[in-house]
Amino acid sequence: MTDQHEDPKFEQWLKNVADSYHAPRTTPRDEMWAKIQHARRHKHIIELRPWMGWAVAAAAVLVLGIGIGRWTANQSDDGSRVATNGSTPSAVPGSTPVTREIDSLAGVAYRIAATQYLSRTEAFLTSFRTDANRSANTARLARQARGLLATTRLMLDSPAANDPRLRSLLEDLELVLMQIALLNPLEDGHDRDLINQGMNQSNVLPKLRSAIPAGPVSARTQGAL
Amino acid sequence: MDESQLIARVRSGDSAAERALYDAHVDRVYRLAFRLAGDDALAQDFTQETFIRAFDRLGSFRGDAAFSTWLHTITTTVVLNGLRKVKRFRQREADIDDAHEIGTVHRQAEPDLKVRLKQAIDALPEGYRTVFLMHDVEGYTHEEIGAALGVETGTSKAQLSRARAKLRVALADFAGEWTI
Repeated sequence: MTDQHEDPKFEQWLKNVADSYHAPRTTPRDEMWAKIQHARRHKHIIELRPWMGWAVAAAAVLVLGIGIGRWTANQSDDGSRVATNGSTPSAVPGSTPVTREIDSLAGVAYRIAATQYLSRTEAFLTSFRTDANRSANTARLARQARGLLATTRLMLDSPAANDPRLRSLLEDLELVLMQIALLNPLEDGHDRDLINQGMNQSNVLPKLRSAIPAGPVSARTQGAL
Repeated sequence: MDESQLIARVRSGDSAAERALYDAHVDRVYRLAFRLAGDDALAQDFTQETFIRAFDRLGSFRGDAAFSTWLHTITTTVVLNGLRKVKRFRQREADIDDAHEIGTVHRQAEPDLKVRLKQAIDALPEGYRTVFLMHDVEGYTHEEIGAALGVETGTSKAQLSRARAKLRVALADFAGEWTI
């Protein structure tokens, strides 16, 4: 049924004229390769960022502390029982809570990463809105947006995005950051207005702020722990 | 060196092999991304993301199909998902523009073929447009398109036929150019 309108002359003509549609320029091989290499290295660096290392270490210490605390608490409980029952404890209690806490270690680290990232993005978007009329800052803002965009995409691929609300927020942020990253320093007045209007319509900033725990960044990070 | 050997070297961490694999495929990936996105920055972004994902997930490539087929599946996924997000954003902008333009009367200038062609292709449903650009403009076979988009070959053929039919109607004013 779909062949009834086939016309070889039209198809040939269409192929010829359609070649001008979105005609690509020469592939910028080296430029893209450099960015791919940078992004892959950046991804690795993010996974090993000092503050993430600190967060994981702090979480590990906390987990260990909880584990030791529970183990010693159970030990003393058992000790009292020994005194009352007159029997010897046969197994080391506390192993189950420790396992549980270790299992949640990765989740804690990702929550910390998400909090830090959301705080930086909130600061950036707030700055973007207040700088909206200063075209001199466009290149800097676009550069910062590209950096945050890379982090956003990493967050989207991380377990942090398993939370549907956080995932939806990250997707909105990805869109906004992509638009800012593509801003042209010479012709940005109208585009900036559109981005701001889009942010207003989608309530990105209020959603972002409500997703961040109250208090300064360091306190938020500690709060997550 | 054939491609399977190159892929094995990439898997073993050979950065020169990574670059060779990239060089072998980047033109086609970038061209397709550009045709679909119509914007150099977006096309570059999509191409980079395609290769980053491909290198990260190369371990899951089993070699049942050609590497190019696997890579183009990633390309179309990255590009189409990316364009949907941009479209959603632009739709918000368009809604704002429409709200501002209520009561304004526009005179439509007589467009030339290039403009009308662009409008007609842009107006195609996403599936038709993708198949049309991949087949008629970039020269992919229906088998390649079917594998990349996860559809049957017959579906690809049917969508191409429908895309051409829609374009024929949209470009009817230029019928004299193909009937001579």
